Amino acid sequence: MANQLLEIKGINVFYGDIQALWDVSLQVEEGTIVALVGANGAGKTTLLKTVSGLVRSSSGEILFMGRDISGLSTKQIVDLGITQVPEGRRLFPSLTVLENLRLGAYIPRARPSFATSLERVYSLFPVLKNRREQKAGTLSGGEQQMLAIGRALMAQPKIIMLDEPSLGLSPILVKTIFQLIGALNEQKTTILLVEQNINQALKIAHQAYVFKTGRVVMTGKGADLLKDEEVRKAYIGERVRKTK
Amino acid sequence: MIGVLPQVVVNVILFGTMYGIAAVGLSLIFGTMRLIFLAQGTMIVLFAYLCFWFFTLLGLDPYLSLVLVVPIAALIGMGFYYGIFKEAAALEDKNVSLLLAVGIMYLVENLMLVLWTPNPRSVVTEYTGLVFRPFGIPITFTRLMALVLAVISAGAVFLFLKKTLIGTAVRAASEDMTSTTLMGINPNWVNAVAFTIGIILAAVAGVAMSTVYSFDPNYGFVFAIKALIALTLGGIGNVYGALLGGLLLGVIESSAAFYIPGGWTEAVSYGVFLLVLIFRPYGLFGGSIKKA
Repeated sequence: MANQLLEIKGINVFYGDIQALWDVSLQVEEGTIVALVGANGAGKTTLLKTVSGLVRSSSGEILFMGRDISGLSTKQIVDLGITQVPEGRRLFPSLTVLENLRLGAYIPRARPSFATSLERVYSLFPVLKNRREQKAGTLSGGEQQMLAIGRALMAQPKIIMLDEPSLGLSPILVKTIFQLIGALNEQKTTILLVEQNINQALKIAHQAYVFKTGRVVMTGKGADLLKDEEVRKAYIGERVRKTK
Repeated sequence: MIGVLPQVVVNVILFGTMYGIAAVGLSLIFGTMRLIFLAQGTMIVLFAYLCFWFFTLLGLDPYLSLVLVVPIAALIGMGFYYGIFKEAAALEDKNVSLLLAVGIMYLVENLMLVLWTPNPRSVVTEYTGLVFRPFGIPITFTRLMALVLAVISAGAVFLFLKKTLIGTAVRAASEDMTSTTLMGINPNWVNAVAFTIGIILAAVAGVAMSTVYSFDPNYGFVFAIKALIALTLGGIGNVYGALLGGLLLGVIESSAAFYIPGGWTEAVSYGVFLLVLIFRPYGLFGGSIKKA
């Protein structure tokens, strides 16, 4: 069996009386890109928040490198090497680009390697270096997404969880962001990707899980799901029609 | 008339900085915990009494007593956060924290009534009556010291927020606590640090106040409201605006006292408070300062 970095076994998550995740299981193999796809409100973001410790599961296990992390605080989880880039980027708009990056390396484990991490982020996103003294709120949408990813990289994560990185970006920028995700993955960063842009996500993903109303309804290789008649009809329908 | 006006202006600056540093404390606490810490004024009076105690019992100079009062304030700040507010701060419903603050206010107020009686106290030293007359404008030494203390402590807070990593985290948390948590920053630590700085600023204001005014246990709530007005003028959650708001409140109060018959001063402050809330709910210079 391949080396599973993150393994989720049968978790159930509630918001008050409402159940958001039903017996969800999935595996993220080290060094791969795993995509979670499905309609809005299907539970993808909830899953990421549960892994990050922002939301608690009521049952089931979340194993990271074989260790159950489901009871740990977000701080401990980030320290172990799991970083989430939340939906909508959630930068600190009145802080400078550099201050945002500095906070990305807040955890004690990441602090000694601050300079090397910064070098890496600047080489990935040269525009951030030029704008380092600028307030994050003044950046364009694409630059903000780069900063959000860069900030997450500052924590030296083993796995990075991206929530809707292409949301609200122009088609050209969407392409750039997906290229970047591919490049990051080539640098050995494992990626758990939540996307509404299913076509792009399945193209890039090694493995994908289809979510529907809080359950995993289908799983397979990204390329296989992309060819799957049912998936195309349900989620990429519009695009198929357009290309005809 | 012309001779009195500069004196009013000077009074303004000296007066307003006191509201200003109290408001900076309120702003830090509100920014992180989303709590209007109504007990701030009562804490200021408590520290004024502490200073009074060190002065009468130990003969300690009020300004020198800061060496003791500030560490005590730091302990109280940490103790209050971890002992009282920690659980409530994690709740969506911020009313729980607000009620705790009201509880602290009445508890501390009544404790002071028992310990120090309702009679007004003041710290009278050999320099209490000392007055300088640069350019013929009378300036009291103790008021000048209030300004000096306010400038030093506000400067220290600004440097802390700007230059240290935890200070940057406090500013970040005021913008987005969830995102701050996702950086691996413990939200309780950020809250505790901001809250403790707020209490330390209350201690500085308390010491400054004890040397300028006579005070009694009930004065705290009025001071908290004044600080709240200063905070609103500057824009809630805006630390720099809070200090300016304090100065502005001083301007409003002293010009009201100067131009409008007595008794109306307070009414003018509250009137301005309401007008600002109605027409500029984010403060008078909130927007412009955020851009700067």
